[in-house]
Amino acid sequence: MAYVTLNSHYSKTALTRMGMPRWLLIAAVAICATQSFLPNFMIRLPESWIPPSAQILDYFFNEIVINTLHFNELTRWFAEGPLDFMLGFTANLLEGKHRWPFLDDPLPWSAIAAVATVLGYYLGGWRMALLGGGTFVWTALMGQWKITMQTLSVLAVAAPLGFLIGLVAGIVAWKWKWFDNAIKPVLAVMQTLPFYTYLLPAVIFFKVGPTAGAIATTIYATPPMILMTTVGLKKVSPEIVEAGKMSGCTRWQMLTRVFIPSARSEILVGVNQVIMLCLAMVVLTAFIGMPGLGGKLLAMMNSFKLGRSLEIGITIVLIAIMLDQMSKAWVVKLPAHFEKGTPWHIRNKYLLFAIGAFILFLVSAQFIDILNEVGRRQSLSIGREIDGAIKGFLNIDIVKSITGFLRYVLNVWILVPFRDFLLWIPVSAFLLLVVAFAWSVGGRRPAAYAAVFFTLVAFSGWWDRSIITLYSVLAAVFISMLVGIPLGIYASRSEKWAKRTLLVCDTAQTFPSFIYLLPAIMLFGITDTTVVLSIVIFTTVPLARYTIEGLRNVPSELTEAADMSGATRWQKLVKVQLPVALPTMAVGFNQAIMFAFFMVIIAAFIGTQDLGQELQRTLAGTDLGKNFVLGINVSLMALTFDLAIISWANKRKEALGL
Amino acid sequence: MKTKMILSAAALALASATSTSAMEDSSDPIVIPIHNWSSQIVMSHVVGQILESLGNNVEFVTTDSQAVYESVRLGDVALELEVWEGAFGASFREALSKGGLHDAGDHNAVTREDWWYPMWTKDACPGLPSWEALNDCAHLFATAETGDEGLFLDGPVDWLKHGKERAEALGLNYVVKNAGSAAALWAHIGAAEADKTPVLVFNWTPNFAEAVWPGEFVEFPAWEDGCDTDPSKGPNPNALHDCGNPATGYLKKAAWDGMPEKWPHAYEMLTKISFTNAQIAEMAKLVDIDEMEPEEAAEVWLEENQDVWKTWLPEGSS
Amino acid sequence: METSPIVISCQRAWKLFGANPVQYLKQMPEGHGYEDIRADGYIAGVKDVSLNVSKGEMLVIMGLSGSGKSTLVRCFSRLHDITGGTIEVDGQDIMALSERDLIELRRSKMGMVFQSFGLLPHRTVLENVAFPLEMRGQDRHMRRERALEMIRLVGLEGRENYFPRELSGGQQQRVGIARSLAIEPDIWFLDEPFSALDPLIRREMQDEFLRLQELLGKTIVFITHDFDEALRLADRIAIMKDGAIEQCDTPDRIVLNPQTKYVKKFTEDIDKARVVHAGALADPEKTSEASGDPVQSDSTILKLSRQLVHDERAMIPVANSDGAIIGAMDRQKALEVLLGAE
Repeated sequence: MAYVTLNSHYSKTALTRMGMPRWLLIAAVAICATQSFLPNFMIRLPESWIPPSAQILDYFFNEIVINTLHFNELTRWFAEGPLDFMLGFTANLLEGKHRWPFLDDPLPWSAIAAVATVLGYYLGGWRMALLGGGTFVWTALMGQWKITMQTLSVLAVAAPLGFLIGLVAGIVAWKWKWFDNAIKPVLAVMQTLPFYTYLLPAVIFFKVGPTAGAIATTIYATPPMILMTTVGLKKVSPEIVEAGKMSGCTRWQMLTRVFIPSARSEILVGVNQVIMLCLAMVVLTAFIGMPGLGGKLLAMMNSFKLGRSLEIGITIVLIAIMLDQMSKAWVVKLPAHFEKGTPWHIRNKYLLFAIGAFILFLVSAQFIDILNEVGRRQSLSIGREIDGAIKGFLNIDIVKSITGFLRYVLNVWILVPFRDFLLWIPVSAFLLLVVAFAWSVGGRRPAAYAAVFFTLVAFSGWWDRSIITLYSVLAAVFISMLVGIPLGIYASRSEKWAKRTLLVCDTAQTFPSFIYLLPAIMLFGITDTTVVLSIVIFTTVPLARYTIEGLRNVPSELTEAADMSGATRWQKLVKVQLPVALPTMAVGFNQAIMFAFFMVIIAAFIGTQDLGQELQRTLAGTDLGKNFVLGINVSLMALTFDLAIISWANKRKEALGL
Repeated sequence: MKTKMILSAAALALASATSTSAMEDSSDPIVIPIHNWSSQIVMSHVVGQILESLGNNVEFVTTDSQAVYESVRLGDVALELEVWEGAFGASFREALSKGGLHDAGDHNAVTREDWWYPMWTKDACPGLPSWEALNDCAHLFATAETGDEGLFLDGPVDWLKHGKERAEALGLNYVVKNAGSAAALWAHIGAAEADKTPVLVFNWTPNFAEAVWPGEFVEFPAWEDGCDTDPSKGPNPNALHDCGNPATGYLKKAAWDGMPEKWPHAYEMLTKISFTNAQIAEMAKLVDIDEMEPEEAAEVWLEENQDVWKTWLPEGSS
Repeated sequence: METSPIVISCQRAWKLFGANPVQYLKQMPEGHGYEDIRADGYIAGVKDVSLNVSKGEMLVIMGLSGSGKSTLVRCFSRLHDITGGTIEVDGQDIMALSERDLIELRRSKMGMVFQSFGLLPHRTVLENVAFPLEMRGQDRHMRRERALEMIRLVGLEGRENYFPRELSGGQQQRVGIARSLAIEPDIWFLDEPFSALDPLIRREMQDEFLRLQELLGKTIVFITHDFDEALRLADRIAIMKDGAIEQCDTPDRIVLNPQTKYVKKFTEDIDKARVVHAGALADPEKTSEASGDPVQSDSTILKLSRQLVHDERAMIPVANSDGAIIGAMDRQKALEVLLGAE
């Protein structure tokens, strides 16, 4: 009896856990094989089945949100009142826009560069000082000061706004579980929603211009702040909490004096994320009125000035690296004590020094013109020369033959057949395949989500475009695995190389993606190869990064044990390091997919036939509904992968006891 | 600097004139949208600088050239200086039907958008610019992906150029692909430049590209009204889009409906503004070829063309 | 001790963890054991504990990890709400206090020291010590004075401006102690204060602690998992297992009369002569049988070992610190304690 029950128990788990994905796979293959005999609705959903979701959403936006609730009046009030005031204030200080406090001249570049230098020194010594000062000096010398300040004047409002909203929402989510539960899916969707979907509502609700730019930036940059705040508050040690309670703290005192200061590190990591995401939006928000670097970059690209686009790109990278490094240094920098009786001016010497330098340059700039403003004619921009160099490089015969070969092989033999294959699969079979994948990777829950999400995609009426989007993502991630993982493995062999590679990764990631696109088109034409390869540049980064991180964090006892067991390098890598690093690498893989979904939309700039192209088209009109449906499709597909892979990585980590 | 002095003199003159006038312009900033091509940016700055000299507050905002009509309609931006018939006609007309903005007159310029090739292409395919030469030359435009057919790179889908339909209607042996952006078009031409590879792309005039890459439009059967709605028009009796685009499209200005009331003087000037093709090309050249900043280019243009813009000033100010 | 007023009175206190503990406790059958409760999906953190702490007394609660000792002390300060029973502090039922009154009670009467110190990482030593004073709104000058005094008391003068991470473990715990004393609490809770320290430092801190207690005379509830530490410090020891108190008595009596098998296991390896005092062996009824010079009641048997071996009396009189004879000690019994025989 016991034997029989045991046996049936086994077969049951076998069916549900191991067997089910296989059955789904078999069913999918069967559907594909017999598709010519199947009813049409199994291959592609008929038009009549597609619900008019776009129209319903349009109705919702126009009739309910705008005409009935007058929600836009509230947002407009905010945009034209307080927000516009704050933006005007920073813009007046930084670039002299005619707003309160109506200073005639913006702050001289030399004064800002001096303060950045002192701040850099305070946070991270001479290297950081050089980075801080150097970035601003470069900007001024390249003749980009004004546009850079235009950008920064908006970021100076958007980033603190994102920080505040994120902090408050993070606290609320930590305090009230229901809010946390409610906000999690919203954040997940927001983080995967393509940016084109934010733009139109931002214009309608917040007025085209810096206001809409600031809001779109804020919305995009806030989610990680919320998450990090919650994580940080949850991590405060219970003894510190109890110590606070026993000290007789009220609830407000607990929050402000105990929890928030104790969660400092996580909150500052959140700040870092906010800053980086703000910078990532600099170019994209130029579509809706964000002034400065982004708009200039697009204008330069549209008049085919690669060199000057590149210079603007470098400025953006420099600012990003500077802010990144400084905020990271700030996270690490813990307060150190001064000996008793240290006078005030010694304790605050950096502050005094910064103020001194600021005033010095502020005054000198009144007399020495070049310290105030570097004119276009004085600037050291070498845009034309770079143009020549790029064109020259692209014209080298070897380059041309290599790219020509790549273009041909990738396009004709790999990408296009792969795309046609995916499009050939009937909808029903595709659903089964996705569910089978999610099930075998993540288990039942992700499988259930996958089923729901892809069904929604099927019913959105944009199936083919969604599949083409997915195809670019999959192809790009696959190629970047071939590049990124070996690169990561190689780089992780020494500290020095690991560091260098990570630096390159950081730089590549902050470089505005638009700039890659033009040389990519020149190399590979307007083809799928170009699209996929420009995604690859982005997706390789997280793969390499997490491979390095995973491998370097393998406990040294394990590698030592492997050494002592007489393992060769290869054996050690394959049998010990990779299996332990795999969950971390999976996180990188997941991020690569998320990045790919982000980039594939930008690649519409090259010319694609996917959701991104349709999304770009909706920008022209006021199709909020359609815009949203398209955006959600991207989001749903991205989330399907996200849920499955993260669930796998977590299970795996638990199993390994990490 | 000289320009500024001239402008402020004009402003003084105007100030004395307007002080007697019943209607004053609002001191709220007039928001002028700028897009991502040079002539429009410089033109916006030219107009902006004139308005500033008249005592108006002016602000510029970078926007998408299609989405801008929604913003004009809502009054978020006051005007739009370059409404191209071909590229933005659809968005403009849609906004017009929704209400909130109106036509503020034409520039003395024609616009043309159509299939185009850089001059070197003609060396390989001497039958051009006639469209009938295209099929014979198709192999010249072939790429790895298109096989025997030629490649025509059309503008972004949202420009609604119907390149595919035209290729079919006229029986052209071409694959039509949509570029994702204007920049993608330039990159395609730029890549072909070194080897003088023949390319066929969508292009328009006035445009900086004319100065960088001299070229010509393909001459299709001339546009007839209704070619896009009535199959009987054009050489193919059974198809739409079997003509070239109108060779003389309009270039308009658009204004927010609230503008005449809020800034009557500025509005009056806007209706008078009229640039010619040559002037537009000149403004683009200052930036694209002479590498000036748009503001600077605007100053230079204003100084060199005083006789042109002074006639646009509102009554009583000149 | 019996005459001192009771400060903490804990009657039939329960603390259950689980989905719906109050409901469960109400309908739970009498005599349900720890394992039974666990089978029902609840954990008994504190199980039917009755205990009084008198003014000036040092009660040590001893138990292994998971025995519920930390939970119990958190019930005393209402860091945990109890599920059943009552806990009174100075005659006031603490479960009946409003949030504001509870905060007031903690601000005026209670201090607590934590195992991992619980110092605020972003505040200096001075700011940490002054923290409870700041919370109750004392002015800056006053709290600085008081905090400096406390820092001096625990021997950290000169380190006021250090941050916690710049200090060693022992120093950090001194800060914790200073902080807990800043408001001059009547009741002092110490939750395994020395467990995270190295053995040598631990010993030093225990001495320091005894010195402080001599000086301050607080009512103390001290938690430890170290039986030696308990014996060394306690007036009374409560030994806990599975949330319940196995035995609560003076160290002498626990060592001499372990009442359960569990307690016995702890006492087995103990050098009883170090723990047991002459007073604990003095039998008042046999006072008449002894004569000659008395021994002091607070001397340990170990200390008396030489005398016990050489003294020839069968019964030795025992005198308290005032010199009054409180009873007589059977020399044979004392020798058995000394030799470790049962």
